[in-house]
Amino acid sequence: MKLRLSLLLAASSAIVLLTALPVKTARRPRYGGTLRVEIGTTIRSLDPAVPAANSDEEPAKEQIDSLVYDVLEPKSKFTVNGAFHVTAFEAGKRAVLAATEDYRLGRPFVDSIEIAMGRVARDRIVDLELNKADFAEIPAEDARRAAEHGVRVSRSKPDELLALVFTGGDEPGRGKPVSAKAREAIALSIDRAAIVNFILQKEGEPTGGLLPQWSSGTAFLFSTATDTVHAKELSAQIVPAPKIVLGYDSGDSLEQAVADRIAVNVREAGVMVTTRAIPQPLGLAAPLDERIWKRTTATVDALLVRLSMPSPKPAETLELFSNEFGITTSMNSIFVLPSASAQEIYERERWVVGTFRVVPLVWLPRVYGLSGRVRDWTPPGPGESWPLADVWLDGPVEAAVEEGKK
Amino acid sequence: MTFRTKLFLIFTLALVVSVGLVAAAVTEVTRRAFDQMNAQHSDALVAQFQREVVQRSEDVVHRVQGIADAEGTVRMAIDLSRPKGDVSVYVNDAAGVAKAHQLDFLDFISNDGSIISSAEWPARFGYKIDWVLQPEDWVARGSFLMKADTQEGPALALLSVSRVRVGDKDLYIVGGERLGREFLASLVLPTGMRALLYRNLDPTFQAADLIDSTGPATQADQFAAIVQKEQQEPGEQIAKINWTADAANAEVFHAMPLLGRQKELLGILLIGSSQHDVVTLQRQIMLLSVGVVAIGLLVGALLGWWGAARVTRPVRHLAEGAREVAGGNWNARVNVRGRNEIGQLAKAFNQMTEQLVDQRERLIQAERVAAWREVARRLAHELKNPLFPLQTTVENLQRAKERSYGEFEEVFHESTGILLAEIENLKNIVGRFSEFSKMPHPELGSVQLNEVVRSVVKLFEAQFGAVGRPPITPELHLDDHLPLIQADATLLHRAMENLVLNAMDAMPSGGVLMLRTSPAADGGVHLEISDTGTGLTSEECERLFTPYYTTKQHGTGLGLAIVQSVVSDHGGRIWVESEAGVGTSFHIELPKHPPRRSVSFPISFDYEKEKEKEPEPEKHKQEA
Repeated sequence: MKLRLSLLLAASSAIVLLTALPVKTARRPRYGGTLRVEIGTTIRSLDPAVPAANSDEEPAKEQIDSLVYDVLEPKSKFTVNGAFHVTAFEAGKRAVLAATEDYRLGRPFVDSIEIAMGRVARDRIVDLELNKADFAEIPAEDARRAAEHGVRVSRSKPDELLALVFTGGDEPGRGKPVSAKAREAIALSIDRAAIVNFILQKEGEPTGGLLPQWSSGTAFLFSTATDTVHAKELSAQIVPAPKIVLGYDSGDSLEQAVADRIAVNVREAGVMVTTRAIPQPLGLAAPLDERIWKRTTATVDALLVRLSMPSPKPAETLELFSNEFGITTSMNSIFVLPSASAQEIYERERWVVGTFRVVPLVWLPRVYGLSGRVRDWTPPGPGESWPLADVWLDGPVEAAVEEGKK
Repeated sequence: MTFRTKLFLIFTLALVVSVGLVAAAVTEVTRRAFDQMNAQHSDALVAQFQREVVQRSEDVVHRVQGIADAEGTVRMAIDLSRPKGDVSVYVNDAAGVAKAHQLDFLDFISNDGSIISSAEWPARFGYKIDWVLQPEDWVARGSFLMKADTQEGPALALLSVSRVRVGDKDLYIVGGERLGREFLASLVLPTGMRALLYRNLDPTFQAADLIDSTGPATQADQFAAIVQKEQQEPGEQIAKINWTADAANAEVFHAMPLLGRQKELLGILLIGSSQHDVVTLQRQIMLLSVGVVAIGLLVGALLGWWGAARVTRPVRHLAEGAREVAGGNWNARVNVRGRNEIGQLAKAFNQMTEQLVDQRERLIQAERVAAWREVARRLAHELKNPLFPLQTTVENLQRAKERSYGEFEEVFHESTGILLAEIENLKNIVGRFSEFSKMPHPELGSVQLNEVVRSVVKLFEAQFGAVGRPPITPELHLDDHLPLIQADATLLHRAMENLVLNAMDAMPSGGVLMLRTSPAADGGVHLEISDTGTGLTSEECERLFTPYYTTKQHGTGLGLAIVQSVVSDHGGRIWVESEAGVGTSFHIELPKHPPRRSVSFPISFDYEKEKEKEPEPEKHKQEA
């Protein structure tokens, strides 16, 4: 009797445990399937020798080129036979990449990648919702809404800095120099939290530093708080009252929303800011310094810029940012010491930020939308390409395709 | 100005004044009617606009309430009512909802007044709008005007507030339309009218704040006065703006204040009504009136001329008749018919001239008789003197013959001498009469009177300084610019001789004989012959020119009669001025052209026959 009860109790417990505990079964990757990728830009040519037409095409072209071409050494020429090879290409519309069977690092899991070009963010999200796409990069500010609508969202570490740069200088084409007090007043009046919480829908990190917390570990030392009182005091000392023209990329809705918000914030401090949309003709390969004032068809006093970390290394990032911002110190003009200590990096960062010529605003992650059947996806790090060669597609491929076609 | 011209002008003037008054009255009445119609039109349009605003207001209220009632809004309110409600999710909702409901303004405002989402200024999330939290019945309020802050600056907005309450927390929905260019463009305005909106966003007039359906209004400065007046004293007013000197380019504007929730002046709606059509029509009417007046004037002038001609024709005939009578043609008759006053006047005129002719003839006859009587009397008087000695001498001869031959011989020579002298005297008398009777008609020619005067003076030069008589000094004062006259120089010479002789006779003790010529006022000449003789009494002056009257002991008394006859034949006149003891002046005025002879004095007539015709003196006087 007791034994029966014991056995019954053990069986019941086992059943309860088995049903209550989450059971993860590790599934093995399998080959096959077509990965449906959607990008927002249009690519004229996959030939790496052909430069991108604009800064929007450039990153997408790089990502796809990285799938098709292999780089053995830095700065060397591309070699053919990357993980995939191009089987179809319609400039600006569509590209089909087929897996290279004898790829040196192993055949990709998916048989092919179909790339649809020129899909705006809203359409990419909708396609992800409707399972018409497997992979697409989506704007950070749309990540939350996409997730609410059932899209699987993947975020990288924040590796893109959104910053306000004062473009004033003596060189031709530059705006008038903005006084230090005005720069500081503007910096103190910007509400970064509101930008992150509302505009970015809680994607990203408000920052006062040039390096993300996960990279430098010292980002928290740079204040992001708003000090409107002090900002008003500073602006009151400026006679006549400053009037700033803030430029933003005409094709970037996030920059427009941030610029408008900055204008509202700064007005509270007594500084009049007007925003101006500016087309961006040059690609990201051009130095930022050139891009800053060559972007401007009309003179602007400040500009919103988005800078990607070249690598996870804070020293490299800081060096690149410092050079691109055109900010030098009495110390080494070129900061190329990979072995620089955290203290030295912090001091450099502190100095640059202290000039208020650059006002860091937000660190943005890269956000990717994935369909339910994409497996083994890992968001790339700074400077890394999409690891599409490493993903595989789960579930019946044909059913998924047919369902997507509906 | 002739009577006909006067009558014509009076008639025409009366017609012009009448027509002008009528045209002015018509123009004024029409203008007032147009003004009234225009004002009614504008009032109707203003009323239409007001209805449009009311309708828009109700529509805004309806749409905002619709948003408040929408499921999404209710869910938002429910979500935000939770303790950890995340407002950031809704930060972009207002733009889409506003677009869907065609609203220019839409704000979702949380319970504490913070903006959750703003359609017109998306970046303003988190900022507070305190006025929404004021205790007010927004439902009863309906829609209202307000100055709304936008990214582009302040703007006028027609807003409505709705509220969604979940638990003890409210979600406010503030929505509305912008009162701007699009709003003005949506108004349906008739041709010639337009609407402008002044956004009273500044205490002083700002031209940039005045807009029309296409954007900033042109020539906005012209509205400064009406706007400033409206700012000082909000109320409906009317003002006229003349864009150019041409009145047709003027516009009449109705200004309507747009008041906010707290009765502050937020805007001014200006409804403009072009005066082009009205002024053009008025001008057309004016031109028509002018045309009517002109035609009336022309017709009036023609009618007046014809009427005046008809009316004045008999008067003219009367005037012509009177002129002829005045000119000496007493036989002139006026042929005017009619029973009116003119006809009666003409008839009376004819009767008068007939009577005048009759009386003249009688007078002439009487004068003839009187003249012949005078001639007979004078002749009898003149002849009687020499006849008596003739008779006496012949009687003496007869007596002497009867008495003795020696006495007869003695008396015969004496008596024959007397007889011959008296016969010579008779011959002189007859000669003088014959001379007077033979006074010829003047043979006219251009005569310079000064030359005649000089000729006469020269003739008597020797007598002026004759030995044995006191000298007479001639003084000539002859005008160098004396005009020529048509006269008979010989007759004038004879007349002057008589006057000079009379003057010499009047100065037995010598003296000064002055002869003066000067131009007369009528273009003729004036001759004055003055002496410093004994002078004449007034009675003598009256009878001086009577034939046979003389103050001399010798003389026939025909000299001055001859002078008067000559002067009369030349159409002139002669008069005398004299003062006893001082002297006498004879004045003669001769015209430039003697008139035509109209009265003939018969030299010979049948005395007996004329005597039979002679009326009774008493009766003749009475008739005169």
